Amino acid sequence: MRVVIGEGSCGVAAGAAKVHEALDALLTGNENFEIGSTGCIGMCFLEPIVDLYDGDKLARRLVHVSADNAQAIYDAANTGDLSKVDDITIKPEDEEFLNGQTRIALRHCGLIDPTSLNDYRAADGYEGLQKVLNNMSPEDVIEEIKTSGLAGRGGAGFPTWFKWNAARQSESEEKYLICNADEGDPGAFMDRAVIESDPHNLIEGMLIGAYAIGATEMIVYVRAEYPLAIKHLEEAMKQAREANLLGKNILGTDFSCDMRIKAGAGAFVCGEETALIESLEGKRGMPRLKPPFPAQVGYMNEPSNINNVETFANVAWIMNNGGEKFAAMGTEDSKGTKVFALTGKIRKGGLVEIPMGKTLRDVIFGIGGGIRDDKEFKAVQMGGPSGGCIPKDLLDTVIDYKALGATGAIMGSGGMVVMDESTCMVGMAKFFLDFTASESCGKCVHCRIGTKRMQEILTRIVNGEGKEGDIELLEDLCTAVKDGALCGLGQTAPNPVLTTIRYFRDEYEAHINEKKCPAKECTALLTYRIDADKCRGCTLCAKKCPVSAIDGERKNPHKIDPEKCIRCGQCIATCKFGAIVCE
Amino acid sequence: MGKPQSDFSLIKDVLDEYGDVEGSLITILQKAQEVYGYLPKDVIYHVAERIGSTPAEVMGVATFYSQFRLTPIGKYLIMSCQGTACHVNGSERVSEAVSEYLGIENGETTEDGLFTLENVACLGCCSLAPVIMINGEAHGNLTPDKAIAVLKDIQAKEGC
Amino acid sequence: MEQIKIKIDGKEIVGNKGETILQIAMNNGIEIPNLCYHSELKLYGACGLCVVEAEGIPKLLRACATVASDGMDIHTDTPRVVKARRVAIELIMSDHEGDCKGPCVLNCPAHTDAQDYVKKIAEGDDREAVRIIKEKVPIPASIGRVCPHPCETHCRRALVEEPLSIAYLKAFAADNDLKSDNPYVPEKKEATNKKVAIIGGGPAGLAAAYRLAVGGHDVTVYDMMEEMGGMLRYGIPEYRLPKAVLAQETKAIENLGVTYKNGVKLGKDITLKELRDNNDAVLVAVGAWKGSGVYCPGEDKEGVLSGIDFLREVNQGARPDLGKNVIVVGGGNTAMDACRTAKRCGAENVYVVYRRTREEAPAEDLEITEAIEEGVEFKFLTNPAEILGDGKVEQVKLQIMELGEPDESGRRRPVPVEGKFETIDADTVIAAIGQKCLPDGLDDIELTKKGTVVADEQSALTNLDGVFAAGDATNRGASIAIDAIAEGNRAAEAIELYLAGKPLEFYEPYVSETEKTAEDFADREKLPRAVMAVEDPKQRATNFDSVIKGFTDEQARAEAKRCLECGCHDYHDCKLIRYAQAEPVDPHRLDGKKHECYKEQCLVTIERDQGKCMLCNQCVRTCKERIGEGLLGLVGRGFKTVIKPEFEGTDAIAVCKDCHQCADVCPTGALKILS
Repeated sequence: MRVVIGEGSCGVAAGAAKVHEALDALLTGNENFEIGSTGCIGMCFLEPIVDLYDGDKLARRLVHVSADNAQAIYDAANTGDLSKVDDITIKPEDEEFLNGQTRIALRHCGLIDPTSLNDYRAADGYEGLQKVLNNMSPEDVIEEIKTSGLAGRGGAGFPTWFKWNAARQSESEEKYLICNADEGDPGAFMDRAVIESDPHNLIEGMLIGAYAIGATEMIVYVRAEYPLAIKHLEEAMKQAREANLLGKNILGTDFSCDMRIKAGAGAFVCGEETALIESLEGKRGMPRLKPPFPAQVGYMNEPSNINNVETFANVAWIMNNGGEKFAAMGTEDSKGTKVFALTGKIRKGGLVEIPMGKTLRDVIFGIGGGIRDDKEFKAVQMGGPSGGCIPKDLLDTVIDYKALGATGAIMGSGGMVVMDESTCMVGMAKFFLDFTASESCGKCVHCRIGTKRMQEILTRIVNGEGKEGDIELLEDLCTAVKDGALCGLGQTAPNPVLTTIRYFRDEYEAHINEKKCPAKECTALLTYRIDADKCRGCTLCAKKCPVSAIDGERKNPHKIDPEKCIRCGQCIATCKFGAIVCE
Repeated sequence: MGKPQSDFSLIKDVLDEYGDVEGSLITILQKAQEVYGYLPKDVIYHVAERIGSTPAEVMGVATFYSQFRLTPIGKYLIMSCQGTACHVNGSERVSEAVSEYLGIENGETTEDGLFTLENVACLGCCSLAPVIMINGEAHGNLTPDKAIAVLKDIQAKEGC
Repeated sequence: MEQIKIKIDGKEIVGNKGETILQIAMNNGIEIPNLCYHSELKLYGACGLCVVEAEGIPKLLRACATVASDGMDIHTDTPRVVKARRVAIELIMSDHEGDCKGPCVLNCPAHTDAQDYVKKIAEGDDREAVRIIKEKVPIPASIGRVCPHPCETHCRRALVEEPLSIAYLKAFAADNDLKSDNPYVPEKKEATNKKVAIIGGGPAGLAAAYRLAVGGHDVTVYDMMEEMGGMLRYGIPEYRLPKAVLAQETKAIENLGVTYKNGVKLGKDITLKELRDNNDAVLVAVGAWKGSGVYCPGEDKEGVLSGIDFLREVNQGARPDLGKNVIVVGGGNTAMDACRTAKRCGAENVYVVYRRTREEAPAEDLEITEAIEEGVEFKFLTNPAEILGDGKVEQVKLQIMELGEPDESGRRRPVPVEGKFETIDADTVIAAIGQKCLPDGLDDIELTKKGTVVADEQSALTNLDGVFAAGDATNRGASIAIDAIAEGNRAAEAIELYLAGKPLEFYEPYVSETEKTAEDFADREKLPRAVMAVEDPKQRATNFDSVIKGFTDEQARAEAKRCLECGCHDYHDCKLIRYAQAEPVDPHRLDGKKHECYKEQCLVTIERDQGKCMLCNQCVRTCKERIGEGLLGLVGRGFKTVIKPEFEGTDAIAVCKDCHQCADVCPTGALKILS
């Protein structure tokens, strides 16, 4: 028996390391089982997760495990009596979360030990590279990628073969293959999961890409906020070097290429490829004008190709299985699978990889199990701060680049944040503008001042200070910023505003004209009062109120002083009789 | 003038390794920050001189990235996640409560030097939203009350 | 070099292969606005002003970065481009902190560039000062003497101690110019052979005549009086404006080629139809020559005069016998002129009856002081209730008033104190409580209810084609001379457009303004305002000689040097304001928080004004790329980004070559070279 603990960042944050420690503490050296570790399987809503393997077979998946369960797990693994862990075994309906998926980029995640090259090799690892180096020319590789229809998974969805080919065509002594692992979209974490849980897959995919374009060096630009990913990737690189998978004459061929990691220093804009190059060069991450494109003039003024993690994570599989098999999945417009980070007010949140062509409803209500706490679905935000929200009546939209684009949202890097009736859409737009405004690099006028002004207008609307004409002013600004901003960050920053205006204009109007927040989220627009018929005068709310805004005699109905009330909502949470009304 | 000079010998190895490698400024500053806890001004000047740049350029880089700090941080670094999932799950009230409880705004340090509050981009623990991370340890599913309880625990441990 | 052909706004031009759209445009003399481009610096692409649209390309292109390809069809003025550029300018301006022009300029109805000409006076260059003044005011020696100077009212020097004596400085420079061997004469444009008739030779008519004459047009001014000058000639008394000074200035306009026809009255000697038939355009600037009544019983008695009629008679040389006691009704400048003139005509007791208090009186306070000095007695808070006498004025019964609630104008409304009256002896009553337009001969011109001509506020056009109107005769009615001049200028501008067949489109060009408080000038040394020497009151009340004696040279230069120079030093060279004024922009719709704004001296002899920096980064790039120093840098990120030098103490002074290249490339006034 093997006890495998899911120790991705998410699992650790949920307490996986403590479970591991507790199990270790019980060990005497005479067990009938061993303890192992794996990465993230993507079922965030069940973390921490512990898998019990009987040989290669998964015997039990234990969920929401805590250190208190260590003894039971120990006993079950040691004795083989799995009934001891019945109470923490995954429920059948939750298993559906994985069964509904088709995993390519995430194919090893949560299944292998990310720190073991052997594990990776046992699971078809480096076979794709071997095949490429033995049997294929760089042009063949590019052709195979072309056949697969693989497109950039970082957001723009640009055909990968085209970029590779452009870089291949640029003649130079030095060429660079760069991996963009600066996953900045707040609400997307698939790239982290891949690097943490399957680092060799990234290395293999990059090596194939490097071979295709003729790169002399590979660089992974990774967020400094991902320490575990950096650690695992460093370890994997070391192993690969030792196994002659990196460095000179890889696997005994003429192909030589090494790899290094560059840790980002915290700037969302560095996800934009030219800003990323500036940052790699040790400068302020401010985007450059395009053209020239990185394929001609990139890092250190040499031809460079940049793809994101998920894109590379598909490459080895495509080489192994053939481009056609990849292209068989998906739609006319978009091929293969896409990973989504499903979060928000969703019942089952986590990483979801599905073939293109499924609908939003399939993901949210099928795999995700619908809305948490039996609330009403309102909208889903696709593509983070660069994307847009898609309302309920478009739930049957097919997931492909074109169809999502038509809604005003984008595929993006795969952030999928689900919102219910209690989410204010104006507040949501403001949240994203807060983000882009604070992440604007400040170079171009439209983004630097434009996003700031949009943020200010949205702020005044949610504070009940919106003016007539503000919606039109926002639309005006949005168009101008889309047209005028220098890079993708600025050009897409208006999307959350434009889509929320498009689908939820009535919410904007309610804020501005009636000074009301229909979702009851904007505190400045709420009033709290006590229903005298329901109040029993228990005084709990008065005691809880942080600003002493509630007054009343014991056993008599209380009252809230609206002047003092800061609308923190603590009274509502305290009241046992439902006497407090928020309007 | 006032402040004692920083001990540059602490980053000699770093500068020896990266000082002449083009494009290594961010790496140097990251390593220097690991050494000093922040980037003292004289270190910035020293780095500029050593790598053949100008103070203005190094300052430009040091102030561009949110990772770099020009002032020392507290013993406990509270990173308050500003990710979308946290937002949707009410992170704003949590960070407001922390801010109010400690009397500091984003980027500030408490007078006793115990806490520094930093709003950060998504920490990637979306399923635990809302989350704050204190010296690397994540605290999830927070409410304003729970967050303050965590802070109180630390204060108690530190004998405040 | 291989050549390519492209089209910009329909014009075919040739460029070299590999050149950007902007380069080809510049080489062919086509301006595409830009703020961050410099031919000797690496491409930057921050300002977003140079966007253009090319046929077949859905995105807007940055002209600075887009290499032109053969056959490209480029447009720089499509609605989409114009809008994108306009929003870019509005965004920049919404984050811009600075005064393009000082309050003196902005508050002058004619926008006379006071700061500029005061500076020239400080430098001793009166002729250049007069050139600047005459861009707006063709009769500065006269206006400098009589203008109630809104410029001074708004002068920020008052936040230090007292406002600058701008009006008298203007008169000083103009007097010197008139006295000089080589008085300033503007250069006239080539003759257009277009004829313009101006009816009325007052300040509005003269201002328009001057401007149109300079523009090369054939101008004739018709006036019913025997001399030009209008109310300046016949309303303002000699002791305030010597007629010889005015005559010199009207003569100078005549010398530009303007034909004067005096003694010609519209509707009597000539008709509007004739003028329209024989000219390409007509300007109606007939003024407001009808005085008011006293509006109380007995106002038809002998001895009741209108102030305007009285002043006109005196200005024509009459010295009417007013008797011993004269009552002047009103609190405005005409009342002051009337009472002081009455005194000079020999009246023993002159009373000014005004229903409010001195604080509310529209007359300039200095004039009230001077009138009191000359022996005029003010009866504030009184109002004529009845004029008594047997056919002729003998007494006036005055109602005693008090101040009640404020009215629409914000002044407290005078209300009668019931039953309280005072009666004083009087031989003459002069009514000076307003004046009206006499609509003689205006034919079909549309009039307001007040009887003034309806003229478009922007274009000065009346309801009749080719007929414009300006001055006291229009819209709100009588006002101060500088208002009439401003309207005359505007009308002339409109007439020029009309004559050229261009649309009469006007908008107020944008200027950036700030609010300042005394705190902002706390470090300034207090320097008292120059005191104008005047004749002794007892002496001057007996004659019509000029009351003021004029500044001495020394006084004037020192006074001019008190100017705080509020307006931007770079106004005339600033690319940003040039673009902002080239089209109607409204940055205030985007008002919001501004970035950190402050001024500091840096780099040896450069003063940096952070509020005016729009981060084109040209100074930073110049210092690094062209000078090789890299002393300046961007600091911070996003909206908070600023440009700062970074160095320790004196080290930079040693490094900075003081080459001023950074200031030279700055497209705004953010970098100022200190002398």
